[in-house]
Amino acid sequence: MSKIGKYSAWIAGGLALFGALLMLRAPGRVRGLDVDGFSRLPVLEGGRLKPLDSVARNALLAIRGQQEFRWQDHTVLPGEWILDVLFRPQVADQQPIFVINDPDVLGMMGIRQSKERYFSFQQIVPYIDAVQRESQAAQAIEAKQRTRFQGAVLNLFERLYLYHRLKNTMQLEQSPGLAVEVAAPGAPGAAQRQASLAELAYFRAIPPLPGQKAEAWTSSGEALRAAAMGAANAGLEPMARIATAWSVQDAPSFNRGVKDLQIVTFGAWPEAQTQVDHETTFNRAQPFYVGMVIYVLAMLTVFASWLWKPAVLRPAAFGFLCAGAIVQTAGLVSRIVLQGRPPVTNLYSSAVFVGWGAVLLGIVLERMYRNGFGTAVASASGFASLLVAHHLTGDGDTMEMMRAVLDSNFWLATHVTTITIGYSGTFLAGAIAIAWTLRKQFAPRIDPETSRSLSGMVYGIVAFSLFFSFVGTVLGGIWADQSWGRFWGWDPKENGALLIVLWNAIILHARWGGFARERGVMTMAIFGNVITSLSWFGVNMLGVGLHSYGFMDKAFWALSGFIAVQFLFMALAMAPRQFWKRKASRDGADRATPARA
Amino acid sequence: MPVPKNPILRAITSLQLTIICLAALMVLVTAATLAQVDMGTMGAVNAFMRSFVVFWDVPGTQWMIPVFPGGALVGMVLVVNLVAAQGARMELSWSKAGLWIVHLGLILFVAGEFVSSAFQVESQMAIENGQTVNFVEGRDAELAVIDVTDPQWDQVYAIRSGTLRGQGTVAIPGTPVTLKVHQFAQNARLRNRMPNDPPSGATAGVGTSVAWSEVPPATADSDQDQSAALVEPIAGGRSYGTWLVSQALGASQSFTHEGKTYQLGMRHRRQYLPYSVTLKKFSHDSYAGTDIPKNFSSLVHLDNPTTGERRDVLIYMNQPLRYDGKAFYQASFGKGDTLSILQVVENPGWLLPYVSCVLVTVGLLIHFGISMRRSARKREAARLAQAAQGA
Repeated sequence: MSKIGKYSAWIAGGLALFGALLMLRAPGRVRGLDVDGFSRLPVLEGGRLKPLDSVARNALLAIRGQQEFRWQDHTVLPGEWILDVLFRPQVADQQPIFVINDPDVLGMMGIRQSKERYFSFQQIVPYIDAVQRESQAAQAIEAKQRTRFQGAVLNLFERLYLYHRLKNTMQLEQSPGLAVEVAAPGAPGAAQRQASLAELAYFRAIPPLPGQKAEAWTSSGEALRAAAMGAANAGLEPMARIATAWSVQDAPSFNRGVKDLQIVTFGAWPEAQTQVDHETTFNRAQPFYVGMVIYVLAMLTVFASWLWKPAVLRPAAFGFLCAGAIVQTAGLVSRIVLQGRPPVTNLYSSAVFVGWGAVLLGIVLERMYRNGFGTAVASASGFASLLVAHHLTGDGDTMEMMRAVLDSNFWLATHVTTITIGYSGTFLAGAIAIAWTLRKQFAPRIDPETSRSLSGMVYGIVAFSLFFSFVGTVLGGIWADQSWGRFWGWDPKENGALLIVLWNAIILHARWGGFARERGVMTMAIFGNVITSLSWFGVNMLGVGLHSYGFMDKAFWALSGFIAVQFLFMALAMAPRQFWKRKASRDGADRATPARA
Repeated sequence: MPVPKNPILRAITSLQLTIICLAALMVLVTAATLAQVDMGTMGAVNAFMRSFVVFWDVPGTQWMIPVFPGGALVGMVLVVNLVAAQGARMELSWSKAGLWIVHLGLILFVAGEFVSSAFQVESQMAIENGQTVNFVEGRDAELAVIDVTDPQWDQVYAIRSGTLRGQGTVAIPGTPVTLKVHQFAQNARLRNRMPNDPPSGATAGVGTSVAWSEVPPATADSDQDQSAALVEPIAGGRSYGTWLVSQALGASQSFTHEGKTYQLGMRHRRQYLPYSVTLKKFSHDSYAGTDIPKNFSSLVHLDNPTTGERRDVLIYMNQPLRYDGKAFYQASFGKGDTLSILQVVENPGWLLPYVSCVLVTVGLLIHFGISMRRSARKREAARLAQAAQGA
């Protein structure tokens, strides 16, 4: 690499990392209230302790599809939103947080479909009975048989119910409020309110009493009930002050309440503080989102480098790619530490990990061949997989607890990780083959040197992924033998993994036997994308088998589209170079056409 | 690579055949996966993977047209191809050592699957807290005729469902009883008989107040068949009426002949063990504030009078008890955490896949290691040549 190239790589990478670091800035106070301090408080939800920030983000993501929104000329962040939901429901009810896209659901509410897709709870209230009626009807029908309207109305109902539970987590709606309850937990009628609260609470925010087990976090209803029996909880009183202060936006009192609650919580549970601080930082940094942006930069830069100033731009693209890889690695490591688990625990994290593997492989390839293809393919795969991961977050918490069957760090670390690396490899080989195809069809001229190196890359990576998918599949078999007594149960997911192994084996044998040469191997590598995507996502859509932990039905059309595009690429790969131009020589599929004279 | 002269040998050892077999396997695996939705896992696997020929039932007719080679056939051809190619084409050299090991591992792998499909027996053991059990139950049904006259000691005669299916008469050895099987249903649905339901065919026992109808065998892996049969015990030239027996019937039914009482009941096929298992405690935790199961475990006591072995064993997820050729896995639980269900698997070939996977992994590593070194050398040589040209 030339000196100027070296500089541009370091500068590009450094700039991208600097941008990523900017995400870590703590948000300022909202109207003088320490919202950040409040959202760093730990709560128990989904079986694990997490900052309230995570609960707020995931809930808002589930309800609105975004982690923040504009309202009355300012951006409402998850922390502020959850405070309004908990302690100022009359404000939260006016915020446009329910996204409704289905025209029939809108029609049921007498709204014509328009650009406005976000509605407030207040706008929906008049139709709640209708929503409930329709969703009950939909619930009786099996998920696969529901119409689009039934699915949408049920989904809206679930979001409304989540919102309803959130509003009734700390204090009952239309009740005098937490402060009154804390002052007189034994008052007449209080017991009933406590029971409703305990039942509706979405998360448990009151820390355990000293001497209790670490998991014994309670909801405010349960804590109030205990207080009525004489076991006063030191966490209730500051929480009540926070509630009152937020409802009247009294900054000094709110901030003091937050500080006191922090002292109560972290004084008794100091280890919770490191955990929630780490997770809040992770939430704020959004490493996978930032990584996605950096990969796009890398991709655009490498495209530009093929047209203009390659000596500067190609290394710059590589610098971006490395920065993206660093950010994504940091995110992955963060998740591993937070969960105390290997990197792949569900479909979401498998997507993140597949992209990460492809990016690292691409970096190695770029170092070996230095022609920009490694960068292009790696950044495209990194971007695509993070985009897929982003669309898999819809269910809420991406760090949910593992079911007992899957609760084995050893097997998660070996089987799941290896098989996911196998996916990475197969996708990367497919991506390189697509790059080869595009270059063959659209590049103004083709030098055989680069073609040879691309071909070498694909061969090496197919061999690499054959190894990893085989080892991963067999390790899965061993895991199954250990836990169910069946080495091979013909489960759809196992079969999918086997298909990848078989296909990679076919590619290699066809190449060794000379039945497939450059063009054939490239076409087959693209078909590898189809096989891998089917075994990764497609089998989950069948809804049978032991791997139904990753079940999903929405992605069907996305997957079909992806596969259709792969077939298009395969056709392009098979077609003679620039077949639409009459003048292309008839036998010159791979032959270089002379450069412009 | 030497190529054999004989055209047949050439075909058997050819790489084309390997690729055709691999592609056929892909088709079969895909078909078997898709078919699971309708046929259940075992149904699909038996139809596509463990058969020699895949048939197509022409709808609306009795015809079965062979349409594709089955998994067993393809697997065998692949092994033959592999062995033949290995012997005829590949020279025994160090540079091919990796491939030799890989292919040996693959042969073992296919062999392991043949052994499993032929010999693997899966059954279940359901034990309640404090209960002692000395048998495992299979998926199939059997008709048990139990002489319960002696309060100390039961004499059990079991008739397999296959024998019942043939209908006709079955003599119970050692007793004067002969059973006449009037009807047998692999899977049947029972309900209380309503006034306008047709008679069940039973003339004695609870079966007279039951309406039943045959339904298709269960395909979903979570479902089990509930077999039913109409049987007529005849002893000493006298009929004791026709009885309906089914796994769906809870009540025990019995008749008495010459002072001996015989119980009739349909149950899961039992295999008695020379040892017994007692459930001391079943435990199950969920994550705080959720229904997500965190762990299951069964503390059992194993008692084998023939060897004098007595010990406690903790069976939990990913930690089975392997004993006497069988492996006991924690599979499920029920009845408010007082019932533990263990999956019991007997597979004499269970070690084969382990060996084969080690072989293939090591082989691939060696082979790709060798190729990578070769390709690195080539690139180095090309670089040197280029440098020399440039100079």
